[in-house]
Amino acid sequence: MPPQTMSAKTDATIGVNGTAKSASNQAPPPMALPANLKSDLLNKLSLKSFKLKTKQQELLLRVSILFLVYVLAFITRLFSVLRYESMIHEFDPYFNYRTTLFLTEKGFYEFWNWFDYESWYPLGRIVGGTLYPGLMVTAALIYWGLRFLRFAVHIREVCVLTAPFFASNTTLVAYFFGKEIWDSSAGLVAAALIAICPGYISRSVAGSYDNEGVAIFALLLTFYLFVKAVNTGSLTWSLASAFGYFYMVSAWGGYVFIINLIPLYVLVLLTTGRYSMRLYIAYNCMYVLGMLLAMQIRFVGFQHVQSGEHMAAMGVFFLMQVFYFLDWVKYLLSDKRLFETFLRITVTTTVGLAAVALGVGTASGYISPWTGRFYSLLDPTYAKDHIPIIASVSEHQPTAWSSFMFDFHILLFLFPAGLYFCFKRLTDATIFIVMYGLTSMYFAGVMVRLILVATPAVCLISAIAVSATVKNLAQLLRTKSKVTQGGSSKAASGSKASSKALLDQSQPFQRNGAIALLLGVFYLLSKYATHCTWVTSEAYSSPSIVLAARGAHGNKVIFDDYREAYFWLQQNTPTDAKVMSWWDYGYQITAMANRTVIVDNNTWNNTHIATVGRAMSSYEDEAYEIMRELDVGYVLVVFGGVTGYSSDDINKFLWMVRIGGGVFPVIKEPDYLVNGEYRVDKGAAPKMLNCLMYKLCYYRFGELMTEYGKPPGFDRARGVEIGNKDIKLEHLEEAFTTSNWIVRIYKVKPPNNRW
Amino acid sequence: MAPKSSDSQSNLLNQSDPTTNGSIDPVFHLVRILPYSVLRAPRLRLKLPSLSLPSPMTVFSLVLLTYFMVVSGIVYDVIVEPPGIGSTQDPVTGTVRPIVFMSGRVNGQYIIEGLSSGFMFVLGGIGIVLLDLALDKNRAKSVKVSYASAGVSSIVFSYVMSMLFIRIKIPAYLR
Repeated sequence: MPPQTMSAKTDATIGVNGTAKSASNQAPPPMALPANLKSDLLNKLSLKSFKLKTKQQELLLRVSILFLVYVLAFITRLFSVLRYESMIHEFDPYFNYRTTLFLTEKGFYEFWNWFDYESWYPLGRIVGGTLYPGLMVTAALIYWGLRFLRFAVHIREVCVLTAPFFASNTTLVAYFFGKEIWDSSAGLVAAALIAICPGYISRSVAGSYDNEGVAIFALLLTFYLFVKAVNTGSLTWSLASAFGYFYMVSAWGGYVFIINLIPLYVLVLLTTGRYSMRLYIAYNCMYVLGMLLAMQIRFVGFQHVQSGEHMAAMGVFFLMQVFYFLDWVKYLLSDKRLFETFLRITVTTTVGLAAVALGVGTASGYISPWTGRFYSLLDPTYAKDHIPIIASVSEHQPTAWSSFMFDFHILLFLFPAGLYFCFKRLTDATIFIVMYGLTSMYFAGVMVRLILVATPAVCLISAIAVSATVKNLAQLLRTKSKVTQGGSSKAASGSKASSKALLDQSQPFQRNGAIALLLGVFYLLSKYATHCTWVTSEAYSSPSIVLAARGAHGNKVIFDDYREAYFWLQQNTPTDAKVMSWWDYGYQITAMANRTVIVDNNTWNNTHIATVGRAMSSYEDEAYEIMRELDVGYVLVVFGGVTGYSSDDINKFLWMVRIGGGVFPVIKEPDYLVNGEYRVDKGAAPKMLNCLMYKLCYYRFGELMTEYGKPPGFDRARGVEIGNKDIKLEHLEEAFTTSNWIVRIYKVKPPNNRW
Repeated sequence: MAPKSSDSQSNLLNQSDPTTNGSIDPVFHLVRILPYSVLRAPRLRLKLPSLSLPSPMTVFSLVLLTYFMVVSGIVYDVIVEPPGIGSTQDPVTGTVRPIVFMSGRVNGQYIIEGLSSGFMFVLGGIGIVLLDLALDKNRAKSVKVSYASAGVSSIVFSYVMSMLFIRIKIPAYLR
């Protein structure tokens, strides 16, 4: 075994406590004479005996701060529960809720082998093999745990509150991670920052029952365990990180980020000459065990050995073996030149073999290329040109500066400063956090949704900046007071050329300056807290399924149209009725209305979605043919013209045309455009004015007065008067329109009996 | 990696010397036999460029530049291709007035607005760095004071400007 030098833990010595050991332990007064018994007893019961040692004081402070941060992280996410009710938000969480319900009712075996015939009619969906079970299993375990303790909770309450609970746990992991990277005070700041950071809150409010709520916890846990393993070289921590990785793989498709970041980190350590036995143990254990565990998830399957996205990890794994081998040979050989030749040969052969293997694997098709979703992260222009369905999702748009500012506030200033501190003190752990921060910020720049992945890194690095700055300033305060107290001749502030008089003169100035700067830091942090709370309250706490607006007199008006429509569907249609709508609403329809849908948010079959898109953008006769083929009984559209709701189907219409036209060339986008834009007023294209989507949205709308002083048929979402007011439907009839005209349901009429 | 042994070999003109005999490189032996038993190896004075790792502060400055570009929304600029600056036409006089901040959405920007905001963020970061440099012990006092004042003024300026920008962009901010 070649001798390895362990690199010293440089962070352990630098101020774990940060407090000067000035206060000394006071011994309680001794019980000298029986006459003084009473006074001594009183003395003991007085506050003096409760005086703790400094270390205990510090521990109490830390524990209470963490407890407060834990509670804060939970309660700041409860805005929508308090304003509306405890319900599931958005679209995707409804599918997760439905599967969790299924899991708790039927058990794990049924869940794991579930074939869902109620979505993607007539194809169906293999649910067990196409979802990430981590979230559902977690919620089910919590539910069963609570039930075991005889708390009669409903599974919906557990689902709604899972994300805030895991957000609180993430703050704890952030504390330990910060302690590992820098010191415990940085950990505390990191926990406090991540508790309220809007970038994380946006996907983990109460009610947002989505994979990311649990996945960010798993991500940070895996990274913390891996960095701990690299720092200690212990097999236990490596094993723990492998299990953390397994939890991440079971929770979210973003695990690909971990399996690429960690090999990249190992590569950077190798190139900067930080190869050590600890790294070898940590990476090997984590990779092999993590890969084997990850293959237990059916959705992932054999991707770790077959997919191009996972090949980097395998390459680095073999590279580590080569490094170890070379190290061993170097230890055996005493001749330097011989070793250099051997090094050259080995490196050449290895690189050659790797290139050949990769080439053969890719050419034969065994190693699949990067999927579109992840390839568009490396080449952001790819999705726009080739995959319109990925480009259409609003979360996948690239990020503008205001989204960064909105989600991070002053962390954007603290991030480069924290990077500077990390570069000043480079250790294995700080190199990791720098890499995590940089790669995740790049990806956050490419896609708005990935700001979530960058949030823990930004919070940790910003915490380092805050902690280091505050420490510097506090030290300035403390050394000044020490000099004034002790009067030592040691020049504490390091002014070489100044005389003692000058020192005395500048002392109060520097002390006041330091106090002012500390107050400034606290002011900035308090502004951060205000900003975060405001953003959480205004922007990220809306359930999306219930809309709210300010009425004319400033009162709050609630639009509960979606649930009204789904409830109508559940009550008034046959149980085997099929509902056609745009894919956004599929999950909600299956979960709440309990009816079969044609397409839903899983978007796994582009042709099926394109068929629906084609039906929506064709004339009524052609659309009727398609609907008869698909056995459609009801059509559901979302229309915002009466309320001014702008995320309705007319605004999404361009994507229906693009996706439909991508598969069926009969749909041509220029047919619907006038001068390059979509219009619905008199100047609109004739195909636009007569397509199915237009007719279904604006049926009977021409008679409606929506706004005072405007003609009837004034579309408030587009701000124009519609062009075609006299709409006649031949093959469909109106079944239901909600109270604010947001959701409209039409019944497909059976074909005529005779010609 | 240039074969160093062949350099010494060219000096001795195909004479055996300890290093060439002891070399375990098969390609070297092959090359020694095949063309160079007949030909005379040329006298080369090749110097391979020695790659050394850059200093941490160099890497940090590169990182800061990349951060500036990402946070200014350069990916948004490349994909969505917004104009450098927006324009509106005054309805009364007909003159074209520029609009710096794209209003209406949080996730939209013009190029110049992105760059100026990114600059403010980087300036704030540099301010904190300057503050840390000012608190370093081994500098002259005047340098420390100037660093400290520059740092504090940078932080204050960039914070105030960022708040101003976000208030212009989102009129309902903090209300």
